[in-house]
Amino acid sequence: MLGKLAFRNVRRSARDYLVYFLTMTFVTALMFAFNSLIFTKDIEAMFEVAGLMMALIGLATFFIVLIVAWLINYMIRFMLEKRSKEFGIYLLIGIKKKEIARLYQRENALLGAAAFIIGMGLGVLLQQVIMAILYSMIQVKYDIRMEFNRYCILMTAGCYAGCYILALFRCGRKFRKMNIRNLMEAQKKNEEIRESHEQAKRWLFPLSLLFLSVFAVFIFTGGIQGGGQILFFLVGIVLVIYLFYIGLSSWIVCYVRKRGDAVCRGQNLFLLRQFSSKLKTMSFTMGTLTALFTVAFLGCTVAMMFSDYQDKMLETKFPFDVQIYSSDVEDDFTDELEIIGEEAEILDTRSYHIYANVPADVPEDTEITDSAGDSNTVVKQHKLGYAGQANQVNIWLSTHLKVFGDTYLQEDGSPDIPKIEKDCREGAFYCSYDTYMKLSDYNVLREMLGYEKVNLAEDEYLIHLKERIREETETLKDDIVIEGKYGELNFVGYYSEPFSQDGHNGGDYVIVISDSAASHLTPYYAELIVDIEGEAPAGLGNKLDDLEEPEESRSREEEDDELLGGHGMMPGNSCVGSDTIVVMAVENMVRDNLIPETKYLLSTLIFPCFYVGLVFLCVALTVLSVQQLSDSAKYKFRYSVLGKLGMNKNEIGMVILKQLVCYYLCPVFLAVVIGGSVSVFMSGKFIFYTGLHSAVIYYFGISFLLFFGIYALYFITTYVSFRRNIETD
Amino acid sequence: MMKDYIRVCDVEKYYGNASNVTKAIDRVSFTVAQGEFMGVMGASGSGKTTLLNMLSTIDRVTAGHIWYGDTDIAEMKEDALAEFRKENLGFVFQDYNLLDTLTIEENIILAMTLHKKQKQEIKKKCNEMLHLLQIEDIRNQFPYQVSGGQKQRCACARALVNNPRLLLADEPTGALDSKSAQTLLETFTDMNQKMQATILMVTHDAFSASYCSRILFLKDGRIFHELIRGSKGRREFLNEILDVLALTGGEVSDAR
Repeated sequence: MLGKLAFRNVRRSARDYLVYFLTMTFVTALMFAFNSLIFTKDIEAMFEVAGLMMALIGLATFFIVLIVAWLINYMIRFMLEKRSKEFGIYLLIGIKKKEIARLYQRENALLGAAAFIIGMGLGVLLQQVIMAILYSMIQVKYDIRMEFNRYCILMTAGCYAGCYILALFRCGRKFRKMNIRNLMEAQKKNEEIRESHEQAKRWLFPLSLLFLSVFAVFIFTGGIQGGGQILFFLVGIVLVIYLFYIGLSSWIVCYVRKRGDAVCRGQNLFLLRQFSSKLKTMSFTMGTLTALFTVAFLGCTVAMMFSDYQDKMLETKFPFDVQIYSSDVEDDFTDELEIIGEEAEILDTRSYHIYANVPADVPEDTEITDSAGDSNTVVKQHKLGYAGQANQVNIWLSTHLKVFGDTYLQEDGSPDIPKIEKDCREGAFYCSYDTYMKLSDYNVLREMLGYEKVNLAEDEYLIHLKERIREETETLKDDIVIEGKYGELNFVGYYSEPFSQDGHNGGDYVIVISDSAASHLTPYYAELIVDIEGEAPAGLGNKLDDLEEPEESRSREEEDDELLGGHGMMPGNSCVGSDTIVVMAVENMVRDNLIPETKYLLSTLIFPCFYVGLVFLCVALTVLSVQQLSDSAKYKFRYSVLGKLGMNKNEIGMVILKQLVCYYLCPVFLAVVIGGSVSVFMSGKFIFYTGLHSAVIYYFGISFLLFFGIYALYFITTYVSFRRNIETD
Repeated sequence: MMKDYIRVCDVEKYYGNASNVTKAIDRVSFTVAQGEFMGVMGASGSGKTTLLNMLSTIDRVTAGHIWYGDTDIAEMKEDALAEFRKENLGFVFQDYNLLDTLTIEENIILAMTLHKKQKQEIKKKCNEMLHLLQIEDIRNQFPYQVSGGQKQRCACARALVNNPRLLLADEPTGALDSKSAQTLLETFTDMNQKMQATILMVTHDAFSASYCSRILFLKDGRIFHELIRGSKGRREFLNEILDVLALTGGEVSDAR
């Protein structure tokens, strides 16, 4: 009998809490689809970094399980409260508490199981979508197929069950404390609005706003530095999220008490009171919702940033089919060419040198103690005939680019040359010496890329640099002196087309001078460019990397100890440029291998971020929606009173709409302010460091639109059901 | 003679379907004069609440007319009815129907703001009503903080604040203790006499009904008796009512 009852109750609950049911279904689908990213065999075989995806999805799953458990727990308590009268009747007719508890648990298990089964069905569809997106990202053809990995289903079921176990943890105790009278009365009870210290509490509202403004100002002026400040703002934000609603509610109460002008207009009094009382009883939940929305915003924004990077930047990062670096200037690349020849049809090749402006027979490094005579700070300095010219551009960039801040500046604002030289020797950003290229090589490369050739006279030079730093380098040409074989050269211009400048054609920049003026330069490292027919086969890059192995196994010290000249190896001749966030430091660049690999790497960030964002958003919206809908059933009389006071159907509809809008917008407003300022700040930094050309508001804007799409769906559902609840007797 | 104010003509209300029709109201006609305090009595299921619902435009008649002056509300559209309710009717219910999120004073204010009254006027009128109904002390309390009698007086204030043509009261003393009920009924009498409010009260309680000036007795959807107080004292009138009830109640049915 109880089983039958449980089944009927589930059917009713599924109808009453449709939004909750649908969300659980959707969450299951998301779990299954995203989990299947981990268990796809093709991908696992294809990329070495597949473990990273597993780790990040796992991390996301952890938070998702916690939040979904919170939702289930919230809903269980909520339904228990709403159905208290029914449970009272059960007790009254002699069903034992234990039996009721079991009945209720069985109901929830049934509801959960139903959502799970439907969710799995939906999950298979969603899996296809997500797989199709991932495969198109990594440029592999995806054939639609059902993949029912045992472990994937097991993991999804495990996560789902985990949510329920966490949620049902404290449920039993509630039943033990039940009392028939309280149960029967609970539903009749109106909201008890306790107003105390409203005058004082209302100041929390402007204070919260003030704190948020201060936060926004600090974050945009880069004022937040150091662990202490970060902690301060973090704690502050959390407090603000929770206290804001108490303050807002009190502020409205005070305004209503003061009988402000708006209060005496139309239905405002009703709306304001309705809203403030809801905020008062729900301030903690509202705070939690705000936090969820904020995380959802941030998750989506991060996902958007990296996906934009994928779309726009990646192609420009690898302009050549294959490009190989060798620190040995005498390397003729025969081994590499042989391998490439085996794998693909070679159309064109070009090997060339990048040069340094140092004489080939530079004497051995001399150790000198610095002026302070402190023997601990021994600085290595090259005794060069024209000291300072060999790495003037490196020094200029290290001290002028915003990326570096004041890392390489001394307290008096002069360049911290020892530090720059030390980092350059270690290849942190730049090579030890400025990088040069001969015009003939430069023009060949330009031709290969389809750019126009350039002409340079013997006394002229140009600088080809990354577009990202182009704007910051306007005065670079005035601060440097480039000397050719026959004297000082004149600057003719900057070029900033994509040119593989992450350590291949220089790091960030390369100085181009005519061949005759370059005849005195010393070859610094060697480069090979290969143009191949069609797409490079997968794994070519790995094969080329395997070739390097024996050389790479040499220890760093050995390399460092190597002397200049003679042997052909120069120290500190590898660099990566000043890119951060996504750094492309690869010696053997095979475009068609690297782009999918990088995309996959980025997608290990993008997918979990979206995953978290979506689930958090849905959970938060469900709570909002269920809250309002159950209120609409419980407080139906409020609207019938309005009807008796003479409001017609449409007017009541408007009141409901306004009420829902206020209620829905409030937590979003706060989340937009917090999430928005953090997002815009992050996007700004991201765009700055990666050199993308998107507006700072772009990523947040897209997330916001996506957010509002889902949001509108929930809102409309809630509004329609709300009106239906009110209008049916 | 007070002029006819509300005329109920041959009103019928049927529930159910073709095979099973319940006549909740069966050809009822009567008039209410302006300034009258009228009662409708009857046992449960006699149709008194149905009648009230139709008078209050909440429910529609199956047949017949209800004239408020020259307006027949049986012919009006939904929106027009809402407007009509707003302009002409005031309600007092057994379970108060105060909005629980608003204070006592705000419940009264809301009724006026829906009428788009000016702020000053609202304040003035509200204070008047609070004073009149002696609920000034609790004006800033929420409904759950005050007694049933106080809630019902607040509901009265809300119903009367816009000077409605008709105050409809559905078992207003139903949930009150006898002392509060008496206070409330005295308030009704006061409103009726001082403010010339027309009141139609539905009740099954003889004591409450004894405050009315005229009483209709309903049984099975029909009017079967009418009592007019005239110049009689309240106690005397109460006895008359009890006599009628005795007739419709136990003895009569037992005799059958």
